[in-house]
Amino acid sequence: MDTNGATTSSAAGGGSTSKSSSKKHSRKPVYSRFTQQELPACKPILTPGLVIATFTIIGIIFIPLGLVSLSASEKVVEIVDRYDESCVPSNYSNDKLKFIQNPSINKSCVRTLTVPKLMKSPVFIYYQLDNYYQNHRRYVKSRSDKQLRSVSDEKSTSDCSPEDKTVDGPIVPCGLVAWSLFNDTYWFSVNSKTIEVNKHDIAWKSDKEHKFGSNVYPKNFQSGGLIGGAKLNSSVPLSKQEDLMVWMRTAALPTFRKLYGKIEQDLQANEKIQVVIQNNYNTYSFSGKKKLVLSTTSWIGGKNDFLGIAYIIVGGLCLFLAVCFILLYVIKPR
Amino acid sequence: MQVAELIEKELILIGATAIEDKLQEGVPNCIQTLSRAGIKIWVLTGDKIETAINIAYACNLLNNEMKQFIISSETDAIREVEERGDQTEIARFMKEEVKKQLKQFLDEAPQYFCSPSGPKLALVIDGKCLMYALEPSLRIMLLTLSLNCSSVVCCRVSPLQKAQVTSLVKKGARKITLSIGDGANDVSMIQAAHIGIGISGLEGMQAVMASDFAIAQFRFLEDLLLVHGRWSYIRLCKVVMYFFYKNLAFTLTQFWFTFGTGFSGQRFYDDWFQSLYNVIFTALPVVIVGLFDQDISSSLSKKYPELYKEGVRNMFFNRRIVAIWACFAVYQSLVFFYFVSLSSSTSRDSDGKMFGLWDVSTMAFTCVVVTVNLRLLMMCNSITRWHYISVGGSIIVWFVFIFVYSGIMTRFDRNDNMFWIIYVLMSTSYFYVTLLLVPVAALLGDFLYLGVQRWFFPYDYQIVQESHKDDADSINTPDSQETKEHLTPDEARSNAISQLPKEVSKHSGFAFDSPGYESFFATQFGKYVPPKAWDVARRASMKSKSKPK
Repeated sequence: MDTNGATTSSAAGGGSTSKSSSKKHSRKPVYSRFTQQELPACKPILTPGLVIATFTIIGIIFIPLGLVSLSASEKVVEIVDRYDESCVPSNYSNDKLKFIQNPSINKSCVRTLTVPKLMKSPVFIYYQLDNYYQNHRRYVKSRSDKQLRSVSDEKSTSDCSPEDKTVDGPIVPCGLVAWSLFNDTYWFSVNSKTIEVNKHDIAWKSDKEHKFGSNVYPKNFQSGGLIGGAKLNSSVPLSKQEDLMVWMRTAALPTFRKLYGKIEQDLQANEKIQVVIQNNYNTYSFSGKKKLVLSTTSWIGGKNDFLGIAYIIVGGLCLFLAVCFILLYVIKPR
Repeated sequence: MQVAELIEKELILIGATAIEDKLQEGVPNCIQTLSRAGIKIWVLTGDKIETAINIAYACNLLNNEMKQFIISSETDAIREVEERGDQTEIARFMKEEVKKQLKQFLDEAPQYFCSPSGPKLALVIDGKCLMYALEPSLRIMLLTLSLNCSSVVCCRVSPLQKAQVTSLVKKGARKITLSIGDGANDVSMIQAAHIGIGISGLEGMQAVMASDFAIAQFRFLEDLLLVHGRWSYIRLCKVVMYFFYKNLAFTLTQFWFTFGTGFSGQRFYDDWFQSLYNVIFTALPVVIVGLFDQDISSSLSKKYPELYKEGVRNMFFNRRIVAIWACFAVYQSLVFFYFVSLSSSTSRDSDGKMFGLWDVSTMAFTCVVVTVNLRLLMMCNSITRWHYISVGGSIIVWFVFIFVYSGIMTRFDRNDNMFWIIYVLMSTSYFYVTLLLVPVAALLGDFLYLGVQRWFFPYDYQIVQESHKDDADSINTPDSQETKEHLTPDEARSNAISQLPKEVSKHSGFAFDSPGYESFFATQFGKYVPPKAWDVARRASMKSKSKPK
């Protein structure tokens, strides 16, 4: 703050100016609006009028936006079906862990879903996991993006331990994230006619083209004692392994869903869809939940009322406050 | 005296000489303005008591309505003891005298103090008495008495005593002290005070070299304190509060995230975002505010010196203000985190794809940067074009940074880098919808608080702002000063006359060397002039037989 004091003082040795030859040698500092704190400024004052106007404008803009978002979200049709509890046969219902870890037991399970309203194509299929902390620090760390990109970096597995290498060489892709790849599968049919599930284009384009190399093939994957999830076809390069790419995009919250595939036909209202689920994935050891989700989308995405409601609440609150202030202004002027 | 009267008669007056040691221009005005600002002004001078009192009258520090307490070492009794020559007795006696007088004045003071319309109090004390009054036993009494007085004049003080008096107030009363002086004898005082100001001038540069601030004339002190000092205080409060607020809003967002990660310590934001947040994305605007914010213009600051008291009472940086900012930071962090993460729980892309952790966090970080910068604009009192440049620039720098950062993939990237994230985000309409909603929802609370505060509980400076908001910009450019020269000579003269200080007090005289002249000559003309206080003291000490009324 010393500089502020110094600008109005001409302490010894201030810059000298000689504006014209007729003026004496002056020790005044060079005048500039910047240093003399005289910049032109707009001085906004938050008068009551401005407050009321702002609230009104926000209310007027936000409520329609909220209604539009909410209506878009309402148009989305979503079916959510939790199947991890009911897909365990009754004789294993007290020891689900033993059931899931025994490879010889048949894990298929048939569920029936009813379509509430017309679902226009494409209908997206998601699997939703609850209580699954993909955002745990050690889990997020346990991967090697370098390895995923190119063959030459096969050996950079330092962050991946313990899933980094076997006696035969490094594991590609290494790390816990890849090791725990989701491996439940779903087959859909309606009226005994199979519905095609398109599993292409389910990962973001940047993943397919840049983050996962087209010459990187899975090696030594899931070859250890403890199998964490799906096995990968070692003749398909990583850039075409879309399930892996979707899974590797770690989720933000412990309850998340990931895209499994798309159905490219319309589903009529009240249709009954048979789903044959291979209940392979072990969520029983940590009381996780598995759900199957079928959903359409709108211009703003899947079914989420939050944005629409938030807009409406904020807009409504602003209008309410504007009205309150108008009343206060009328009743008790300043 | 009588012999002098017998000799000096029937003289012919040839002429008169005078020596004028004028006060600097603008000093009385400055002192008056400063005392309106609630600043107490003491005079510590090496001059003798009469001169000091006259200067104080000229400066409006003393006037005839004040009740003056005078502790002088030139009373009758003291002179008597001094003539006896015994040092220890002199010391003891003087100490007793000083103690007695201090006690007497202290007992008298409350009766004036209690009535608000009663006369103000003034204390005049000279160097010798001060020496005894500053001793530990009497110091507290001196301090109490002088703090009750609106002005204190100390005369015949040595440089050491000047420093001692300053330290007394600084440490004893725990008030902020400012010393201003222009000579080498003021150096110790300047260094003893909290703020030392040296006036560069005819007496050389010693005071300037020892001081914290140097000014050219005494009247610049008014500018220094009321304009720049006040602005500094406001700016400092704003800058400090804003720094804490923006870091709190930013960090608490991560805090809410930890509840969702199983408390594993996973970061919500990328490392580079966190490091550069305070360096690039939010740094420059607050510096600009700290340099340029002005609540009211400089001329208005001088017109309403009472606004200075806001700083004295520390109204802009106390617990209440800190708590309010902290609450809003918490509220905003909740908005940032929950609005973004709850709305990302289903697909946000019309193609059904889901966002990952880094997409959500980049969305949240964008909202944080935008909101925090807009909040700065809301708390400014005056917005120059540099503010727009720095706020807009910071937000643009953030976008440029994230475009570059997520567009480049190098061999040295860490795991799960942010490749292509912003382009993915910006390809969804969700991004724009959320970017409109979240800053507005976050700032809603602050906006409401500011509006209500200004409407129902305005600060004084806000009242001044509003009553003068329609005034033309009164900037002291050289242009406006030139217009004054376009007045005709007559107008200039009447202008100058109207600006002369109006005579309020009837104080007319300056002390003459020998006491009693004024009243002596007055009686010669048959007029009655009451003797001045110091006159009486001096006269009594000269053991003069003739005591003119």
